[in-house]
Amino acid sequence: MILPIGPIHPALKEPLRLKLKTQGEKVLEAEIDYGYVHRGIERVMRGKTWQKGIFLSERVCGICSYIHTQTFAETFESIAGEQVPLRAQFLRVLTNELDRIQSHLLANSTYFKALEHETLFMYMLHLREPIMDAIELLTGNRVNMGWNIVGGVKMDVNQSHLDSIMKIILELEDQYDRYVEMFNHGPLVGIRSHDVGKMTREEAIKARAVGPIGRASGLKHDLREQHHTYHDHFDFKVIWRKEQDNYARTMNRFDEVTESIKIIKQAIENLPPGEIRKQITIPAGYGEWRNEAPRGEVTYMIETNGNLIKNASIRTPSIMNIDACAKYMMKDVATVPDALATYASVDPCIACTERVVIMDETGKSQEYVYPDYNIPYNE
Amino acid sequence: MSSVIWYLYEFARKSWAEKFADAKTDQEIMETPSRFRDFPEVRKEYCIACGACTAACPAPMAIKLVRTKDNTHEKGITYPIINNRGCIRCGFCAEVCPTEPKTLLCGENHHIREKFTIFPQEKLYVIDDYLCIRCKKCLETCKNVAGAISEVDKKMVIDQSKCIGCGDCVKNCPVKGAVKAIYVDHVEEQKSIINLVVNTLESRIDEDQDKIMFLEPPEVYKIDYPTYELAQKAREIIPQEDLIRDTFEKITDRLKLRILTWNEEKCTDCRLCVSECPSGAITYDEEEGVKRDPDKCLRCSICYQTCPFDVPGYYLARFQLTDDPLDEGLIQITIKPSKLPTQ
Repeated sequence: MILPIGPIHPALKEPLRLKLKTQGEKVLEAEIDYGYVHRGIERVMRGKTWQKGIFLSERVCGICSYIHTQTFAETFESIAGEQVPLRAQFLRVLTNELDRIQSHLLANSTYFKALEHETLFMYMLHLREPIMDAIELLTGNRVNMGWNIVGGVKMDVNQSHLDSIMKIILELEDQYDRYVEMFNHGPLVGIRSHDVGKMTREEAIKARAVGPIGRASGLKHDLREQHHTYHDHFDFKVIWRKEQDNYARTMNRFDEVTESIKIIKQAIENLPPGEIRKQITIPAGYGEWRNEAPRGEVTYMIETNGNLIKNASIRTPSIMNIDACAKYMMKDVATVPDALATYASVDPCIACTERVVIMDETGKSQEYVYPDYNIPYNE
Repeated sequence: MSSVIWYLYEFARKSWAEKFADAKTDQEIMETPSRFRDFPEVRKEYCIACGACTAACPAPMAIKLVRTKDNTHEKGITYPIINNRGCIRCGFCAEVCPTEPKTLLCGENHHIREKFTIFPQEKLYVIDDYLCIRCKKCLETCKNVAGAISEVDKKMVIDQSKCIGCGDCVKNCPVKGAVKAIYVDHVEEQKSIINLVVNTLESRIDEDQDKIMFLEPPEVYKIDYPTYELAQKAREIIPQEDLIRDTFEKITDRLKLRILTWNEEKCTDCRLCVSECPSGAITYDEEEGVKRDPDKCLRCSICYQTCPFDVPGYYLARFQLTDDPLDEGLIQITIKPSKLPTQ
């Protein structure tokens, strides 16, 4: 029998349709439908100046909104062929890692919610709250930060800001191991997580899985290694695991948080003095930039005439990860609740996924635009 | 059993109780942080009505300038108002506000004042290197005003971050089109105005097709078309007079319309043109004979060049604008037969 879940369902945080082919309690196959929160951001972005476009790119994703502005800005900087001042680069790294910590903690909390383990769910959100406060202290807002700009960052930090961020980070580090142990050695959570939703390395390559999902299946690939700031000034190691199941994906995220804490400490200790912004003249041209978002790799491809955005195309990580989940992880799962837990372990972000690039059978990409889509502007 | 013991152990830990008591009830956490960005605060008395905030706002309909009415004691003042439903609290308006002290306050964003912030302008001024004769008149005019134009590699270049958009360079340029002012915003509206004008002009020419059809090569057919009604329709699309004027001028400068007439009486149903037509606009039916669908036609003139009986006629139309298009302006349409060879 086919069991439909969604698009509106208490188990799902965002609108998406899961069709589970079941035999008794066992789930044989799964199918996923998207398209319920399509917004056409790229279409709206076209024809706007880049000063305005950066605020739109922030609204692509609701959780990892920071990395989208950074990638947007770095795309334009790559078109101009310049780099921002070193202090701005360090501040970008600092915010990026704070954002990664809160995103990973939220992702794990939703996984525990899907496992019906409400205690850990609340603990994770409790850990996340001070991090959100740190982001607010640094940038002015919790989610849509408006902090990046082409050529640097907007506001400088002083020593008192850095001290209070350091205090929050040290507090997190103190308690952190206890919560990880609760998952790692807890008697019930482990049984629900081990050997559920397995995806082998070959399957992960086939499905183009990226980020923690790919790394939990043994794909050692992190774009931070190739980023110039991380590569030159920071010392960290890429976390990857061999277990390939729900447990590996959750533990991978837990371990990445400790790595992020390390990077934040380095950034605060080695923060160089100097300017935070630089004048950059944007020539006409085409640019492409890839960055490691909390969920994987995010790509921006932008064509500009020096002032306006002529064409923009965005590729977010969730689209590959959710397809990998439907095709390879959710087959021969023992129970329906396990299938839902597998779905939550992929850290799906539907708002990210609803992009507008569709690949047809011949491999040509075509942009999907609603025919009469016309936003009322300046009435 | 083991799990129960585990949780009992967890709950019995002291740190757990401490953290529980701490959860978001501290006075410090409840207070608004210093850098928190709320909706912008407007201080009416400092506003100079320059419109920088409305031009910079990335959200549609979030901010607009209003003016209070004059009364007997004092004149009305202009100031921005913020629509809290549309505002996304980015604080960009507070950044670009040029007054001292600032009219708009938003978080700490009004402290950001970079000398090189590029204000998003309505118009973008560019120099066309192909048309420029390097007389340096624009450089001399700009030297006293903003100093944005400079000479790089024997070419005139405008520095966009210094340009204040006064438009003096366009006025002083002796070559038409060498310095261009391009409207950056309202691209969709500009497109629809262009479509509106071109479609009306085409339908106006179609009305006179019977007269155009019998033109001999040296003869020229002229129509005068008043623009007032067109401008009224354009105003409904966007009520900016400058933009409408500019778009009308550009259309009449550049537009060349190709016109294809079809004289059915001469047609002998030889069907030579049917296979030649690249868009399939010409079809043959046994009852109706050869038919042309004007909507599909590309005006490529291939049928005109193949037809041995002069059934299609091929003409070129050019346009010229006199006076102000919003008032008593006329578009003079000149139609002349094409010089393309036929069989």
